[in-house]
Amino acid sequence: MAVEIPKRLEDLPTSARRWVGRHVQRREDAALLTGRTEFIDDVVLPRMLHCAILRSPFAHARVVKVDTREAESLPGVVAVVTGEDALRWSHPAITAPDGWGTHCIAAQKVRYVGEPVAAVAATSRYEAEDALERITVDYDPLEVVADPFRAMEESSPLVIEEKGTNVMLQRVFTWGEVDRAFADAAHVFTEKFRWNRVGANPTETFGAVCEWDPMSLDLTVRGSIQSASHFGLGRAATFGLPSNKVNVKSHPHGGSFGGKGGTRGTDIACMLSRKAGGRPVKWIEDRMEYLVSGGSQAWDRHYIASIAVDGDGRVTGLDVKLVDDLGATGEGYGAISAAKPLAAFTGPYTIPVARYDLTLVATNKLPASPYRGMGPPPHFFVLEQLMDIAARGLDIDPAEFRRRNFIPSDRFPYTIPSGNEYDSGSYEEVLDKALDLAGYAELRRQQAAAREQGRIVGIGVASAIEPGVFDWNAYAVVGMQGTGVPEGATVSIDVLGMITVRVGFAMEGQGQYTLVSQLVADYFGVEMDAVRVVQLDTQSAPPSFGPGGSRLGVAITGAVLGACERIREKMCAVTARLMQTEPANIELRDGKFTVKGMPGAEMSVPEVAGTMLARSDLLPPDVDPRPEATHVWTAPGRAPADEEGRAKSYLTAAQAVHVVGVEIDPDTGFVEIFKYVVCDDCGTRLNPAVVEGQTEGSVAQGVGVALYEEYVYDEEAQPLTTTFMDYLIPTVNEVPAMEKVAVVTPSPFTPLGAKGCGEGAIHTTPAAVMCAVNDALVPLGVLAREVPAAPKRLWKLIRAARD
Amino acid sequence: MKPAPFEYVAPTTVEEAVSSLSGCDGEAKLLAGGQSLMPLLNMRLARPDLVVDLGRVAALDYIRESDGRLAIGAMTSKRSVERSGLVASRQPLLHAATVLVAHPQIRNRGTVGGSMAQADPAAEYPAMAVALDAELRVVGPDGERSINAEDFFVTYLTTALQPAEVLTEIRVPVLAPGSGWAFTEVARRHGDFAMAGAAVTVTLDAGGHCADAKIVLFGVGPVPVRPRGAEQAVNGERPGEDLYRQAGRKASEEIDEPLSDVHASAEYRRHLAGVMVRRGLAEAVARAAAARGDA
Repeated sequence: MAVEIPKRLEDLPTSARRWVGRHVQRREDAALLTGRTEFIDDVVLPRMLHCAILRSPFAHARVVKVDTREAESLPGVVAVVTGEDALRWSHPAITAPDGWGTHCIAAQKVRYVGEPVAAVAATSRYEAEDALERITVDYDPLEVVADPFRAMEESSPLVIEEKGTNVMLQRVFTWGEVDRAFADAAHVFTEKFRWNRVGANPTETFGAVCEWDPMSLDLTVRGSIQSASHFGLGRAATFGLPSNKVNVKSHPHGGSFGGKGGTRGTDIACMLSRKAGGRPVKWIEDRMEYLVSGGSQAWDRHYIASIAVDGDGRVTGLDVKLVDDLGATGEGYGAISAAKPLAAFTGPYTIPVARYDLTLVATNKLPASPYRGMGPPPHFFVLEQLMDIAARGLDIDPAEFRRRNFIPSDRFPYTIPSGNEYDSGSYEEVLDKALDLAGYAELRRQQAAAREQGRIVGIGVASAIEPGVFDWNAYAVVGMQGTGVPEGATVSIDVLGMITVRVGFAMEGQGQYTLVSQLVADYFGVEMDAVRVVQLDTQSAPPSFGPGGSRLGVAITGAVLGACERIREKMCAVTARLMQTEPANIELRDGKFTVKGMPGAEMSVPEVAGTMLARSDLLPPDVDPRPEATHVWTAPGRAPADEEGRAKSYLTAAQAVHVVGVEIDPDTGFVEIFKYVVCDDCGTRLNPAVVEGQTEGSVAQGVGVALYEEYVYDEEAQPLTTTFMDYLIPTVNEVPAMEKVAVVTPSPFTPLGAKGCGEGAIHTTPAAVMCAVNDALVPLGVLAREVPAAPKRLWKLIRAARD
Repeated sequence: MKPAPFEYVAPTTVEEAVSSLSGCDGEAKLLAGGQSLMPLLNMRLARPDLVVDLGRVAALDYIRESDGRLAIGAMTSKRSVERSGLVASRQPLLHAATVLVAHPQIRNRGTVGGSMAQADPAAEYPAMAVALDAELRVVGPDGERSINAEDFFVTYLTTALQPAEVLTEIRVPVLAPGSGWAFTEVARRHGDFAMAGAAVTVTLDAGGHCADAKIVLFGVGPVPVRPRGAEQAVNGERPGEDLYRQAGRKASEEIDEPLSDVHASAEYRRHLAGVMVRRGLAEAVARAAAARGDA
C-alpha cells in the first residue's frame, strides 16, 4: 500500500488546525516538574545489586596482577569481575574505523585514566565502593602519549600494539579541481586553529540495570539509553548473543546531547549479573566517572585551513586539514564526528571545490564520544573565521561578504562539493532579518565610538548549516556501514475513539511525545488528551532508532502520519461498505468520514472504530479489522557513498545567522556578550515552543564551548578537569539573553516540510562568538585561533599586542 | 561517590559537640553546611572516624549588633547574612562579600563558620574577615578564647583551631563613619571561586588624602594576603587613577608565587591581583568620598 504522507500543514485532514505548528506546552512537563517521571536511578528491582567500578589511575600501564580475594570476602559483596571475565564472556567493542575497540574491562593493559580494571556488585553502592578499596592492582607504567602529533611519530608508544600505528585513519578527499582553484585565486588565506576537547554534560549521567540469566542467557537491559535498538545490537555483538536474546528498555532520561554512551558500564553490570546468578545489577555513573571516563568528551582538533577568493569576493575553494585526537579507542564513535562535516562541508556558500585532509589519531586520552552537532561546529568555527579573515583582507563587510557567497534561493535543491544535497533555503532573507533585529548598522556605529575610547568591542556575523535527519552513509568515509535509519510508530484507536501511539524511543527532553500527540490529534480531530503515547522495549516496538542526528522530529512525524494514513484508508473502505459506496467517495475531515457530495452522510472516527472492533462480520473481506496501523518511515533516496565519500546523506539543511556583540575587558581578558541575535530557518516549525527551547539550550552550549568549556590533560594524559569546578559549564548568569526571529522555508522532501532542528544553534554559536571576539581584536592586530577563548588566552594575546 | 564508613553524632549544644570531639580517638570532623565537607567525604578525600553534625545546635544561628560590632553565630547561613538588613546597613562589605559566594542554593546551606573553618584561600569570607579585622570566638575543652582573623588562617585549608575546638561566633566591627570599602573579584563564572579578588577599605583625611588603607587579596596565596607595601603607597596620597595603578602594580609584585591551575597561570593571577587592587581602590575611594559628602 503506497502511503502518501502530507507534505504541507495544509494537507492535514482538518479545516482548523489546533495543535500542529502552534506553541504547545509539552505534555511531558507535568510529570517532570512534579518528580513523577521514572528515571533509571528510580528503578528498584527485587534482589537488585549495586555496581561500582575500579578505574585505572594510569594513562598507560601493563596490568600485571589483579587481586580481588579480599574484596570478595567482604560482607555484602556478591560478585567481582575483572579483565579475565571480559576476555571470557565478551568481544572488543565494535568501532569505526574497524578494529580500534578493546574489552570493557582492561585485561592486559590500561590505555587511559579511568579505564575499568575490575568491578564489584554488592547489596549497596556503599559496600561496593568499600570493596573497591580492597582490590589490589599491580601496574607496570608504560610511556604515555598525550599528543596526537607525537602519536604519529615512528618512535611513539602504541596505544593498541596490534594495530602497529596510532593513526586510525589518514585520507585526503578531493572534491573538484582544488589545486587549480587555489592557483587561480586572487587571494588565498590560510590559518591554524585549535579546538580543545569539549563535550556533552546532560543533567543525568548514564545508568543501567542489567539482568543476564545464566541459564537462558536472556539479557535484559534497562537504562538511560539514547538509541535502544542500536544499543541492543551492540550488546548482542559484544556478548556473542543472538540479537533476539537481548531486550533493551530505555528509560526517560535527563538529556543526552551524545553523552549517553554507557556501554562499558552496561557490559560490566551485565557480567556481574551473570556471575551473581542473574540478579539485577544497577550501575549509576557518578559525575566524576562521567567526566573522566564517560561519554563526556569530543572534538579534540588541530586545523590548518585555507580559502581561495576571487577578485570580486567570491570564495572559489576550501582546503581543510584536520588532525583529530580521538583518544585511546574508537568505541565512542568519535570518528563519525570527523566525517559528518561532509554533510555541510562548504556551509551555506557556493564554494565550488573543496579538499578534506583527515587524520584520526589514537592517544592515551579518554575515547571521544558524540556531542550535539556531531562534528560540524568546530568545522564551521574554522570556516567562519576564514570568511571573516577574507572579508577583512578584501575590506568587505563580513555580512556583505557572506551575502555575496550564499547559495541563492532559486538554486535548491543544491548539491555541495562533498556530495550532500541541501533541500531548500532562503539564506539572504535569514541574514536580512538577523541584521535588522540586531540593528547592525547602529551596532557598527556604537563599535566605532567604543573603539575611539580604547574599548575592545566586536561584532560577529556568522552563518552555518544544520544537517538534519542523518543517514549512516554520511559516515561511510570512516568505515560506518549501511544506509537507512528507520523510525516506526503504531497508532491504535479504541472503541471509544481514544488513541494510543506505540513508539520505540524514550523521553529525552525534545518534546517528541507532545509532537506525536499534536499530529494525531489534528489528524483525527480529537483533543491532545485523547492521545496516549506508550514506549515499548526493543523486543516489542516497531523499528526505531530514536533521537540522534537531528532526525526524530521529522522521522516520527513521517511514521505517525504514515500510520494515520493507513488507518484512514482502512476506515474509508469500511465506511464505504457501510454507506454502500466506493472508498474513493469517502473523505476524512475534522474527525468525520463523509460521503462526498452527500451532506449528513457521515460516520465519526469512534463509530467506525467501534464497528471495526465489534462487527468484523460487516467489514470488507480484504480489510484488516483492527483500527490500527504501523508505519515505518525512512528518508527516501539514500544510497551508499562513492569513493570520495559523496552521498545524499542528511535529508534536510536548516540554516541560521547569528549576530553577536562582545566586549573584552583589556585588563582581564574576559568576554562579555552584550548582544545575541538568532535568525534561523528550520522549515515548518511543528511546535515552535520546542524549537525555541532547543535553540536557547543550544546557544548556551555554544557559548560554553566558545568561552568556557575545556577538558584539560597534562603531559602524562592525566585529566585535570574532573569536576564542575574545573570543567566550566555556563550557567544562566553567563548565557546571554537572546533575541530570536525565524524564517520558514519548508523542505520539499519531508513530512509537513519540517527540517531537523534539535542540534541547532551550536552549529553557529561558537563560530559567531569567535567572529565577534576576533572582530574586537582587529585594532590590536591579533587573532584568537583557539577555542575556548578563555580569559587567560585573550589576556595573553592582548598583552602581546600591546608590548 | 559514597563516603567511607564513619561514626556520626548530632549534638544540640556546643558543650556536647566539644565533648564529642575531645572523646574521639581518631580524626573527627565538624559538619556545618556541608558544602565542602560532603563532596570531600563522597570522593573519599576526607576519611574521618567521626562526623559531628552541628546542624542541631540552634543557639549558633543569629545576627546581633552590640558595642559597635555585629556578632554572627557560626551556624548562621550565608543566605541569612545576605538577607539581613542589619548587615546590609551596618557592614556593607560583609554583605557584598556574601553575595559573591557561590549561588543561592549553596548560600542556603553554607554557613558563616563553615567558610571560616574551611579556610579556602580563594573563598570570600576569610578575606572579608581579615579586611574587617574580625574576631573569631572559639570554644574548646578548656573554655572560650578569641582569635584575631589574621592569626586564624594558618595556611591552605588550615586554621588555628585545635582539634577539639568549635568556632562559635564571628564579630566584625560596623562600618566606621567616613570609611570607603570595596569587595571585588574576578571568577570564571558568576559564583566560582575567585581567580583573584581584593577587599579594600580606605578613608580620606581632611585634605582629601587617602588614609587607613587596608588591602586584602584572596585567591593568590595560601591565606588572605595583605600587600602592606601597596597599602603604604596609598596612605597620604591624593587619590587618582595613577595612584590606583601604582598600588596595583606594587601589590602584584608583593605577593609570593601564586597558585597555577587550568584557569590561570601564576603570572596571570599575579596580574589579576593588581587589577583587583586598582579597581577596588577606585571603588573604595569613591565610597569614602561619598561618605564625606563631597561626591
